[in-house]
Amino acid sequence: MSCATIRERGKPIWVCEETEVNELWQALAQGVLIGSTYGLLALGMGLVYGVSGIVNFAHGDFISLAMFISLALFSAFALDPYVSVLITIPVMAALGALVYRFLLRPMAGHQFLMIVQLTLGLSLLLQNGIMMVFGGQPARTPSIVESKLIILGDVVLRMPHVIAFVVAFAMAIGLYVMLRSTDFGRSIRAVHQNARAAALMGVDVGRVQVVTFAIGLGILAVAAALLLPGTPIQPTQGLQYTVITLLVVVLGGMTNFVSIMISGLVIGIAEAFGTVYVSDTLGRLVPYAIFVLIMLFRPQGLTWRTS
Amino acid sequence: MIGQGFYKTLASPWLWGALLLTAALPLMLNSYYLHILTIALVYVALASAWNIVGGMAGQISLAHSLFIGTGAMLSTALLVKLGINMWAGLVISAAIAGLLGAIIAWIDFRFQLGHLSFVLITLAFAEMAAIVVEGWEFLGGASGLLLPRDTGDVWAFQFGGVRGAFWVMLGLAATIALINVAILNSPLGYYLRTIRDNEKAAQAIGVDVLRHKMIAMTISAVLTSIVGTCYVRYLTFADPYLLASPLITIEIVLFATVGGLGRAFGPALGALLLVPLGEVLRGQLGGAVPGLHYFIYGVVVIVVILVTPRGLLPLFEKLVRRRRPAAS
Repeated sequence: MSCATIRERGKPIWVCEETEVNELWQALAQGVLIGSTYGLLALGMGLVYGVSGIVNFAHGDFISLAMFISLALFSAFALDPYVSVLITIPVMAALGALVYRFLLRPMAGHQFLMIVQLTLGLSLLLQNGIMMVFGGQPARTPSIVESKLIILGDVVLRMPHVIAFVVAFAMAIGLYVMLRSTDFGRSIRAVHQNARAAALMGVDVGRVQVVTFAIGLGILAVAAALLLPGTPIQPTQGLQYTVITLLVVVLGGMTNFVSIMISGLVIGIAEAFGTVYVSDTLGRLVPYAIFVLIMLFRPQGLTWRTS
Repeated sequence: MIGQGFYKTLASPWLWGALLLTAALPLMLNSYYLHILTIALVYVALASAWNIVGGMAGQISLAHSLFIGTGAMLSTALLVKLGINMWAGLVISAAIAGLLGAIIAWIDFRFQLGHLSFVLITLAFAEMAAIVVEGWEFLGGASGLLLPRDTGDVWAFQFGGVRGAFWVMLGLAATIALINVAILNSPLGYYLRTIRDNEKAAQAIGVDVLRHKMIAMTISAVLTSIVGTCYVRYLTFADPYLLASPLITIEIVLFATVGGLGRAFGPALGALLLVPLGEVLRGQLGGAVPGLHYFIYGVVVIVVILVTPRGLLPLFEKLVRRRRPAAS
């Protein structure tokens, strides 16, 4: 019987199995599974950027918020994160619509960079609002599938990661189909390509932007539920999620769906390799190093055409 | 080179009167209030240094925790681990911070994502800096470094407690604010503002965008690093979660925004209003309601941006002018 450590965001988890764990395949599999969720996070941000040119620096804090709402629902009603997501999605989407309508849209006419500061202020507000309600201690939200493992040859996979992978890709494909072949999807793409022309064609640009922002936060609620089982959460984590999401979005060329998902995998794999092969702390540098290297030699990111 | 406006400010009796009055404060206030004012001056200095890049050139840099961290953690590590005098440490850290600033500006220039890319890239660098400090034992790791006790020996970079620190910070904050005035009145300031307002047009009329961005970033980084060294000397504890965390940059950006971006004294105004408020709240309620002062910063900045996006300084000026129409 042999034991192996699976490292995940710096926190080692011991796994003892009959089989020998192959470190390389293990890291690769874990990176792909986590990376798919990063891709999903980034899709939400890329979608919003595409139609309204806004980069939301409170993105990670909205993920935090969704996670803590799940935690509260678990504490109050013992709801599993995979069930409570049915509540967090509409809550986050409604919040997104309100935030866009009352905070972000009034900025549209002013100097555009002020939105950066506004969302940074929003980030401080959310992070510390969460801290005031839940306290600063790390917390966990358990799930029934949390400790289930799937063993594929040399590789041990954790059930929540597999669920995250499947759901993330299903949602990415769903979004892609929605953008391609529904009227609303066409209006989103129209606004993305040329907001003024879209308005002249009778598209209600303001409505598209509000709904897209709401969808973006709804996607976040899903991603939060996918990341939640087995991951300790604390109010100050938001900025790290924002940065990871930004890396993926920029690497994916901001708006290209397929390259964003690929970039999510690249960053996920880089993170897994860093924690397995370098060290717990300095290993977290690997995704950044990979990011800077790729961007130095390919300033347009991992996309093949400029949008 | 430097226009009339700078000398006019320099010759203003108001400026020197205010400075002298402030410099006399340590003789009147008790150490609690003096501490709060010293922290406020640290943020005045940091926000004014940030303003050169963030306000004048419109490049929202979130990498400044990297420069504060260099000035604070590196100079401390050089002193504690290698016994290098902190004055030398200040110069070494400032030089390294300046170099890092220039490199970051250059890397950003390659990315070609427009204004936003600078925010993204600099945030990535800030996050990297936090990881490096936390993971590298030489810089103190996660537990930080303790400086030797402050005996008031100026040669050893010790200024004798809160009074000395107050005067040092006042001098630094005033110098950096005056550097702001000087740059605003010099060709560099005009180049930076054309870059802020329209980068493509600036390039088209022959402004060397990359060069001036690098210069602005270097000046700002060097000044920020110097403030970092003085700040850590006052704190006597190099805390990586305070001095190398991206959060400190976000605070600076928000103070500068509340006060008025791109104006010489705007960031100073924001810091002078918000830091004492935050410090008092933290002192009174920090134990009962953790995070309350940050929460209030967040609310204030959102309200200010929605009501007066150019900050409070232009608003104050407008109010003053309305009351004294004859003066203009």
